[in-house]
This record gives sequence, C-alpha cells and structure tokens, in this order.
Amino acid sequence: MIDLLETCLLRVDAEYIEMRGHTRRVFSVVVKDGRVERIAKGLNRGACARALVDGSWGFSSTTVIDKKNLLNILTDARILACSSKPLKKRHVRMAPAEPHVDEYETCMKEDPRNGDLESLVGEVLDADAEAHEYSEKVVSTTLNLSVVDDEIFFVNSEGARIKQRIVRCFGTARIIAKSKGNIASAYESIGRQGGLEIFKDTPLREAALKAASRAVRIAPKQVVPGGYYDVVLENKIVGLLAHEAIGHTAEADLVCVGSFLSNKMGKKVASEMVTLVDDGSMPYGFGTMKYDDEGVPTQRTVIIDRGVVKGFMHSRETASQFGVAPTGNARAWSFEYDPIIRMRNTYIEPRDWTVDELIEDIKDGYVLRGSGGGQADFNGEFMFTVQEAIRIKNGDLKETYRGATMSGNAFEVLSNVRGVGRDFEMRIGICGKEQPNYVGIGGPSVKTKLLVGGR
Amino acid sequence: MIEIAESAVRSSKKLGVDEAEGFVQRQRVIEIVLERGEIQSERMKIRRGIGIRVIKDKRMGFAFASMLDQQTIQETCRDASKLASASPRNPDWVSLPLPEKIPPSPEGLYDENLASLTLDEALNMVLEGYETAKETDSRVSIDEGKLMVSSTEIAISNSHGISLYGKGTFISFYLICVAKEQGEASSFAYEYDVSRTLKDFSARRVGELAARKALLSLGARRIKSFRGDVILSPEVASEILFAPLISNVNADNVQRGRSLWADKIGEPVSARSLTVIDDGLLPYGLGSSPFDAEGVPSQKTVVIENGILKSFLYDSYTANKVNKKSTGNAARESYSSPPSISISNLLISPGTKSLEEMISEVNKGIFVNRFSGNVSNESGEFSGVAKQAVYIEGGEMKFPLRETMISGNAFESLNRIVAIGRDRRATMMSVYTPPILVEEVTIVSQ
Repeated sequence: MIDLLETCLLRVDAEYIEMRGHTRRVFSVVVKDGRVERIAKGLNRGACARALVDGSWGFSSTTVIDKKNLLNILTDARILACSSKPLKKRHVRMAPAEPHVDEYETCMKEDPRNGDLESLVGEVLDADAEAHEYSEKVVSTTLNLSVVDDEIFFVNSEGARIKQRIVRCFGTARIIAKSKGNIASAYESIGRQGGLEIFKDTPLREAALKAASRAVRIAPKQVVPGGYYDVVLENKIVGLLAHEAIGHTAEADLVCVGSFLSNKMGKKVASEMVTLVDDGSMPYGFGTMKYDDEGVPTQRTVIIDRGVVKGFMHSRETASQFGVAPTGNARAWSFEYDPIIRMRNTYIEPRDWTVDELIEDIKDGYVLRGSGGGQADFNGEFMFTVQEAIRIKNGDLKETYRGATMSGNAFEVLSNVRGVGRDFEMRIGICGKEQPNYVGIGGPSVKTKLLVGGR
Repeated sequence: MIEIAESAVRSSKKLGVDEAEGFVQRQRVIEIVLERGEIQSERMKIRRGIGIRVIKDKRMGFAFASMLDQQTIQETCRDASKLASASPRNPDWVSLPLPEKIPPSPEGLYDENLASLTLDEALNMVLEGYETAKETDSRVSIDEGKLMVSSTEIAISNSHGISLYGKGTFISFYLICVAKEQGEASSFAYEYDVSRTLKDFSARRVGELAARKALLSLGARRIKSFRGDVILSPEVASEILFAPLISNVNADNVQRGRSLWADKIGEPVSARSLTVIDDGLLPYGLGSSPFDAEGVPSQKTVVIENGILKSFLYDSYTANKVNKKSTGNAARESYSSPPSISISNLLISPGTKSLEEMISEVNKGIFVNRFSGNVSNESGEFSGVAKQAVYIEGGEMKFPLRETMISGNAFESLNRIVAIGRDRRATMMSVYTPPILVEEVTIVSQ
C-alpha cells in the first residue's frame, strides 16, 4: 500500500501534504459469567490525507483503497483546507522535521499472526471460572482479552516514508461482588506492547483473582469517612494522577489555552522528589511508537524534573509556535482522525522507599488502592474514585473501607509528596481526547496528603 | 447493499454453519472540531463495512471487515465460522430472529438535506454558532465544540429470511463556553442540539444558550453543606437517574444478576409520578428505526408506569432465554460490533409544571445544569461536581454556586422525585426528559 500512497501523493501539489495508510487487525474475546459474550476478529483498513494550504489544515479519509479514491481524498483535503481558511485565525506553521525513511516492528517472541488465537478463548474462560470459584460472593464477572495488530504507513511531501507495525496484547477483568446487601466492583488489567507471550508472562487469571479478592473484601465494608488525610497512593493510582491530572496540562495545545502549566516553565510545581516523564520510546510501552503520526521520532520527554517544569509535549505545529523541536507526541487513533497532541507512556519516576517505609510514620491516614477512573480539569483540579481505602493508625494498617473518592489540585498533591516508592509499575490505559488512544501510565506508590471523600 | 449482506449469509451457510447474519453499513460523516476557540480540524469520512455473525451447534462467532469485496467477505465468513468452532457451546442459544412484519418507518428519520450537506455548509453552521455566542456578550469566549453530521445506510440479512434495508441521518453540535469578568472566570457552560433533520436544528440557538449559561455562572459563591432539594436539568437527570435505570432494565443485566430490579416486575420502584416508555417508533426520534439491529420490529415498551416496574428491555437472545418476545432493543455501535441491548428513545412522561414553577416550590436547594463525576450503574451511587449550579432559597434563584459536590443514590432518588417538569428535551443519550426535582440529596461545598 505504501507505494500506492506515495504515487498518489506525488501527483498532488500543496505546501505540505501527508498520507497515512492504516490496517488494524483486532481479535477480542469477552467472557461474562462463564459465557463467551463475544468472540470477534476484525479487519479495518483505510487511508487518509492531510493537506496544509496557506496555514490551514484539511483532512479526508476513506476505507476504499485504490488510485481513484486516494486521489479523491487528496483533492478533498486540499479543498477543505482552502475553504476553511477564511474561518481560521490561526496560521499554522510546522517546525522542521527530518524526513525519515525507516521501518519499525514491535519486539515480539510470539507474533500473533502465527499464533493460535482461537486457543486464547479457553484461557479467558478459565480465568473467569477461577474468579467465580474464588467466592460465592462473586456475582458477576466481565473479562476481556484483546490483540490489536496495527500496520501504519506514513508518507509526506518532504520525502518521509515510514512503515511501522505495532502489536498490543492486553486484558481486563471487572468483578462484581455482593455482600450484606452491598454491591462492589473491582477492576484489574494486564498488557503491554508485544506478542502473545504477554498472556503467559502476566496471565489474565491473576488479574481476575486479584480483582475478585478485592471485590469480595470491600463489598461488606462501610463507605470511608471523609476528610483531609495523609495518604499512600498505590502505584496504579499514581499513574492515573500522572496522566490525567498532570500530563494533560503539559500538552502544548492545552498549554496554549491556559492550562495550569502555561506560565510555569522553569518554575517549581512539585516536591523535589517528583520527576514526571512522558516517554514515547520506552521498550514495550503500551503507548510506544518509533515515530509519531507526523513522522517525528518519539523520545523521552521530561515534563517535571525534580519538582521543576522542564518541558511540554509538542506536535510540529505547536513546536513551531513555541520555537522548540517537536517531541513526537502527534498521534491519531486511526486513519479516520488527524493527529493531535497525545501522551505516550506517562509516569512518575521511582525512588527508593518501600511501601512499608511510606506507611510507617503516618499517624492517621489511608492507603488508597485500585483505580476506578475519574476526571480532571486542565487547571489541575481532579476527582478520582479508588476502590479500596485502608486506615493507617500510627504506622499500622487497620480497617478496610470501600469506594472512596480522592480530590484536590494535582499540583498541590505533588507538592505535598513526602515519599516516593520503588514499586514502579506501568499499566495500560485508553485515553480519550476527542479521539481515543492507547497510552501507558505508571509510577511507584507515593506518600502525600489529599481530600478523601466518602459517597 | 442488501445483496452484499445476503451474499455473506450464503457464503457462511456454504461453510456449514447453522445460522448466519450479515450486517452491512455505509456511512458518510462530517466532523468539525472547535478547539482553543477556533476550528481545529474538519474531517470528511467515508466509511463502510460488514459484520458477520454465525452460529454452529449453539456456538457463536463474529468477524468484521471494512472492505466489501467478494474476497474479503469470504475471508470474513471463514473467520467467523472458525471462531464459532473455537467458542464453547451456549445451551441457552435458541435462534437468530425470524422474519416478522416490519411497521412503516416513522416520519423524520432521513433528511436528504443532511445527507447531501456540503463541508462548506457545515463549516458555516459552526461559524454561525460560534459568532452567535460571541455576539451574545463580549465577556464570552468559546472553549471547545464539535459539529457532527452523519448519513448512514444499513442492510441486515439472516439465514431465516430477514432481509432489510434502512437509512437515517443525524446532526449534533455542542459548544462549551466560558465567561470572563474582572479576572474571574465562570465555570464551563455546555449547550447542545441534536436532531435527525436539518430544519429542527439550530447552531445559532446553541451559541446563544451556551453564552447565556456561561454568563449566569459569573459571580459564583459558596454555601454551607446541607441536604436538600435538587432540580436536575434534563441532561443531569439522564446521567444520574436514568443511566442506572437503563442499566437495571437491560434484560442481560437482569439475567446476569447485575440488576437490583431483577425480581421487581409489578412492584413499585420509583415515585408514582414516574412513567417511562421506550419508544423505537417515535417520529423524528434520535433512536428511532422501523426495526432494530437484528431486524426485529421496533415497538413501544412501557418500562415503568406510575412508579410500577412493567417490563425489561430485550434483544432476541435474552428474550428467547426466558421464552419472551424481543422488545426490539438490539443495537450496534457499528458494523464492527455484534448487537447488544440498548434503549431506543427513552421517554419520561412530562408533568405539569414549568421550570419556574418548580423553582418557586423549592424552599432551600440547588439547580444543577451539568454533572461531572461518577455514577455506578450497578449500585446507583453517584457522586461528583454539580457544574453551573444555582442556589435556590424561598422559591427564588439566588446566585450561582462555586464547584459544589452532590452525592446520593439513583434508586433512592427515583423514589424521592417531588416533581417532574412539563418541558421535555432530547439529550445526547436519546433520553427525552423534563427537568426533575428530587429531595434529600447531599450537597457539599468545600
């Protein structure tokens, strides 16, 4: 397909033009309560063109790949760029980027194209059965296992020609338990970039059992009494905080419209213990690519270095606005979307505390575990739900509560950090910012202070 | 298109499956995204694809592809059949739906004006909404927004003889505005419009209402926490009351022990003033179609009548399992997903009071325009930030509130409905509801 894209591209004249061809093969199994709810295999293939004319973008896509349709979308993209031009204030310029000619493929031990995908159904069913057997209080389970195999071709009018194949294997388990008239749900996930070996290294059944044991544990418990407390956030929650509440404020397009970090470059916004990174080149990262969807090599981008703001995430467009080099953060979900600034693998770097050390000098507080998602504003205000809260009294773990919320301003929370653990962990995420995308999120456990809320 | 669906069914049958179903979709989508207060992207998408579901010895397989050539379709049929063999036997499987008489198509589901809308026309609409917001008041600026216009054709065919074709159009637009005055910013005000036809749609109205909402939240203050009355806007009512209700009447959730109403048919589940109907045949309805995503005729299903739970919502699988008839509630996001249960149009029967009358009856409470937080569909627990909220005292709107939290339980709140307004509005979720006044909600201000 890449040759066809190149041939068509060369026949159209514009200030800048790029085409992407994308084939996504998906295999997914959903098991609910011992039954295969869905077993699906799919193939999505399409191409898109994006043209820059006199500082204005135009974009068009199609699922029909032949010369006629590809020339059509190229023409459409140019027409769109021209006709929307008078409506735009912004004049787009692109920071220079070397046109790479390269190929990249996910490092895999077991390529799913040669693997027996059908046999994975049994693994999901087994995991589901174990979750149900764990306790009679487990009333409902939903397990999902997916293999997503992306082939992405990129060509542009500057001579770039890049082939990438990115394979992701992942799974999730949501378990619902009922006890004493209460219903509680718990969630765990596995996965990363790589081949089918992932399902052997981190079996779905372990995630399912972990979720089952948590759901059963918290179902009969009381909702946590709220208040402002010293807390130890489990590594899984720290990843969400790093991505959702901090990361978005360092995306250059949001910086432009006044996110919390917009006037903080070089300033201290967190404790010196905090270094926050968005890394597009991390081996096996769920959000790793060698090149972003503008053909720019990805890199390790330090956002906060020992408490001080060091960098933002850029596309070629915002890099030109800021007068810096692009960071390889322009990503598109599929051929139906134009690339926008997205995170890749976002995490807080680990230090050397053990979780016990983080807990030991807390007089009255909580350990918060299990991330249940949440929202954040680009001013740093956030509210997340956590699945489980365990009381700390004088350094000892006491009673367990279910379903808490944590809220506050993320930068206040980072400034309050008084300990950073060594138990670093990355996990998978699907981030939505007008279009979804796969991201890695992670970090170690962290000791800080925040508002814990009940129901 | 129908021939493609039928040929997929024939190819699958040749592979020795017991039953087969082909779902073909063709779509044209225009999207215009506003960000940083101006047009960020505009996209034209041409999309097509097929989803094939086969059943072999009570084992199901599903495969899809975005290409409709013969070779791809053959391969997709083979994939589906292979997956069916790998799948465990489901003893509850009875059959794909059999052909039935399909009601005439409700009026207003397809609008040629939308199907042929050009990009220039769409861009101009966005601009109209945008300009109106700014002209309404100079303190208002636009944060983000999106216009989406789609025209969709579908064809369904199965091995029992169902063979149906349908088409529909949609337009939706939203804007998020913020007002600034003397260094103070209002909260983000959201406004939208969604319609099946062009003549019922107005980008201008979205712009004006969004701007007014933003202005209304200037000068926000805090209050002391209390437990009291809350008037939920249609959008908030959909999110915190009706999303858990929808989840609870979904027959699949009922059969899997995920519904607290599993054994409550014929019993009271809400205030007597509440009547809820799922109507797949509503003229101009956002979720209307003469038949559902499996080719079962659409219908009107009374879900709750005067507070009494009357029926769950079924697709053919969950209906067959308990020997009932499907209520025609199978839906698909696109060709790439097999059908699952969803509401069509959920209609909340309106009461008699205007919003002003509802406000006049509140002694101490708040009006909530938007909600951002968590709602657990299983337990009904909700907790989050009431956005664009206004404090009400002595029957009067007093002042806008700074970020205030509300929390409670949807199933308890359904029993604590004090009044249902008379002016119903379609939300993006296809729930048609008036504003709703609920008592005893926890209101927490930091």
